[in-house]
Amino acid sequence: MAGMVAERYTGASIKRSEDPRILTGNGRYVDDIKLPGMLHAAFVRSPMAHARVLSVDVSAARALPGVVAAFTGADLEAMTVPGPDVLMALLGGGGPTPEFTLLATDKVRFAGDPVAVVIAESRYVAEDGCELVEVEYDELPPVTNAAFALDPGSPPLFANLGDNITRPHSRSEFGDVAATFAGADRVFDFRLDVHRHQNVPMEGRGCVASYDADAGVMTVYAATQSVHVSRIAVATRLGIEPAKVRVLAGDVGGSFGLKIGASREELAAAAASRAVGQPVKWVEDRGENLTTSGQAREESFDVRAAVSDDGDLLGLDVKMVIDTGAYPGMGTMVPDIMQAMLPGPYKLAALGFESTAVTTNKASYVAYRGPWASETFVRERVLDLIARDLGLDPLEIRLRNAARRTDPPAVMITGRPLVGVTTRESLERLAQLVDFPAFRRRQAEARARGRYLGIGLATFIEAAPGPRAPEGPSGPMGMESMRLRLEEDGIVALFTGQMPHGQSHQTTLAQIAADEFGVPFEQVRVVVGDSDVVPFGLTGGSRSATMTGGVALHGARQLKAKVLDFASHLMEASAQDLQITDGRVWVRGDPDSAIPVGEVARRAASGQFGADGADGAGVDANLEVEASFDGGEGGWSGGSHCAIVDVDVETGIVTVERYVVAEDCGALINPAIVDGQIRGGVAQGIGAVLLERSAYDEDGNCQSATFMDYLVPTACDIPRIEIAHLQTVPLDGDVNFRGVGEGGMIVAPPTVVNAIEDALAPFGVRIYEQHLPPARILELIAAADSGELG
Amino acid sequence: MDITLRINGETCTGSPEARKTLADFLRDDLNLTGTHIGCEHGVCGACTVIVDGRAVRSCLMLAVQAAGSEVTTIEGLAPDGELGTLQQALWDSHSFQCGFCTPGFVMQATAFLRAHPDAGEQEIREALSGNICRCTGYQSIIDGVLLAAERARQSSRQSSRQS
Repeated sequence: MAGMVAERYTGASIKRSEDPRILTGNGRYVDDIKLPGMLHAAFVRSPMAHARVLSVDVSAARALPGVVAAFTGADLEAMTVPGPDVLMALLGGGGPTPEFTLLATDKVRFAGDPVAVVIAESRYVAEDGCELVEVEYDELPPVTNAAFALDPGSPPLFANLGDNITRPHSRSEFGDVAATFAGADRVFDFRLDVHRHQNVPMEGRGCVASYDADAGVMTVYAATQSVHVSRIAVATRLGIEPAKVRVLAGDVGGSFGLKIGASREELAAAAASRAVGQPVKWVEDRGENLTTSGQAREESFDVRAAVSDDGDLLGLDVKMVIDTGAYPGMGTMVPDIMQAMLPGPYKLAALGFESTAVTTNKASYVAYRGPWASETFVRERVLDLIARDLGLDPLEIRLRNAARRTDPPAVMITGRPLVGVTTRESLERLAQLVDFPAFRRRQAEARARGRYLGIGLATFIEAAPGPRAPEGPSGPMGMESMRLRLEEDGIVALFTGQMPHGQSHQTTLAQIAADEFGVPFEQVRVVVGDSDVVPFGLTGGSRSATMTGGVALHGARQLKAKVLDFASHLMEASAQDLQITDGRVWVRGDPDSAIPVGEVARRAASGQFGADGADGAGVDANLEVEASFDGGEGGWSGGSHCAIVDVDVETGIVTVERYVVAEDCGALINPAIVDGQIRGGVAQGIGAVLLERSAYDEDGNCQSATFMDYLVPTACDIPRIEIAHLQTVPLDGDVNFRGVGEGGMIVAPPTVVNAIEDALAPFGVRIYEQHLPPARILELIAAADSGELG
Repeated sequence: MDITLRINGETCTGSPEARKTLADFLRDDLNLTGTHIGCEHGVCGACTVIVDGRAVRSCLMLAVQAAGSEVTTIEGLAPDGELGTLQQALWDSHSFQCGFCTPGFVMQATAFLRAHPDAGEQEIREALSGNICRCTGYQSIIDGVLLAAERARQSSRQSSRQS
């Protein structure tokens, strides 16, 4: 019978089912939503970084024709329930929680802080209204950097904190730190800085909120990474029963960590909709996105490294300060992840880790692709600095220190087993792909001609989801759920709480379920973006490959068993003798018995259970399952990257000539999609080093408010990225897909910086920072020439 | 202000405010939401449409300036639901991820390939360097445009042989 030969979708670069709508302009993003009677919100924002708000007068704005309402911070507080940042409350923050309001009331804490919102018939008129809002400020000294924030004399942003420390200083030790440092041949001291930069999805934040007063139901069309986190945020802050908030999301135009839950502005728009009784849309413009949506990183590390003369990294002692900006959220939680991950795949025997988080008058810290990535930057930069001092090759020092794959596995000094980690294999693969000796010869020849080429290596591991912990699920955010149903038209519907924003879940999850259930790929529908029908979930943390891929596999298996059990009554055959292939149930060995799965579902729905249409009492005809998955054996993602750069020492311009990746994310669901995730992450990492910086002046004015000031890479800045896949260690009997979303962004910055330092080695340049635009390259060369560095 | 223009082959009339951008006019007044707005200052290219044969940033053009023009938006490329050569090649190449920048890239590449059917990789990179994609690292987009150019050349060779 035609089509009975099983075709395997998982592992093939199946074309994305998202693309036909996206390529024809039929995607549906939040700004495409238009509801009857819909109004538009625009925010009045503070021009000052730090000031007391003396008065806000919205009367002239309210009088403008076309303006329907205008609300001050005090108005909004009266309309909502006070409380902390909802995401912080949900995830459990790492420090004291300052109270803050949806709009500024008594104080503004960064340039761009919203102080009032104008609701009008169009965005144009809403912005006209904003011009008419009068705000009186009493300027306060801005706290624009961590050093000042740590000073007890700095003016506190939050009165209830008393100072600007949002996560008090803490220290942890793993292994015998004192003895390790005392016994080391050498101790190195470095101060490393990671600059502030940010997500910049092409679609900014936004929502359309619509309150139905009769039903008491709030509907929010959102651009979010989780309809349920958004729902909880709206319900909590608006004081609505969670069951009466419905969050819907269509296509989401990128996020990279920015759109977890609902922002202050989105909550304000929802409150405004309830107050005016009409739908309200707010979509941020690029200026708002760059100056107010949130920014990431900006950490400093004082690092001591204990090293043997042979190049063994024995121990690290790190003091970290993170600048979390104005309204503390996830930034206070990041140090714990960095601490756990700092040893990486290396066998160091001791780690001391201290951290402090501070608040400053800059846009708030948000998660950005690999929020803890600086642990990799620190470790991989330190290894190169040590190697250069000891005269070791960067590949050699890494191979020397990387733990070998042993049984039982080596354990990170911070506690997690390095089970299945293939760092050594990925480094060895890079050495096959890139002829290092040949490069060194070419480098020497180029230098003789005044051209400066450099090669850089870096390696990383990522808990995506991480090895199975004895105490519970391997996913850091717990179990993953999915509802699966065989529809009467033969469609296998997967209801998932994942909220894809570029990850292609509608393709990858369908591939897995199609294989496991036995239907063509086109016969699986992945349902996302409706909090009334999908289970709890969140797209983030590189967790969906294992957790959601896994629940799709196990759920499809459970649904298949249920369908076969039902069909066994229908077909008068034992369930063990039945199989599903190509969307048909048939008795093994008897192709003529085949019935389309849709027919089975229709029979179940119609109540005709037996072969003769008899009533089958006791037969479970509900062809639906609720599945959950704990991550199985889990595992690490990881890999090693290599960059070859050409640094023009006259202009400071760095060109990435070649970029090679050897990565291991276990079994690939869809290789083209995996490659896309890696390349996109690497591009953001290259951008972070060569171009991107969220810059502030000394008064706390954001200097990177347009795409002419905040530069993101273009097609001319990113080279072809060569990728080799290792799929070496299956740990689980069924689910060996591991996350791959963040790795590129985690490891590209140290890879590129290491390459730049290598290029500039003849000048004696040593690099202790991550942002290296042309002007900074020239400064580093000049400083090295004058003996200030190195 | 009353204006008349041709959009995707059809004559349209409208009365946009003088200050309304072409992008907002297309999206709000005509419900052509395939054109996306990514920066409103002419850098990201998401709002690119074709006006009288040239790729134009519709966030930098007022609707009233387009009066009397022939405008093509992403919706005009596959009106019967059948993907064009470029769209098909971009699908085959896994070119995009979140899709927000996609209409701008498709319109920019459409205009460019019409004028430069023999373009190579470096020319295509430069032609698309005014469009920002934050997801892909560009390689898959460049590969898709190269594939489309190759297919277009093949089919024009075939049709010239047949004629």
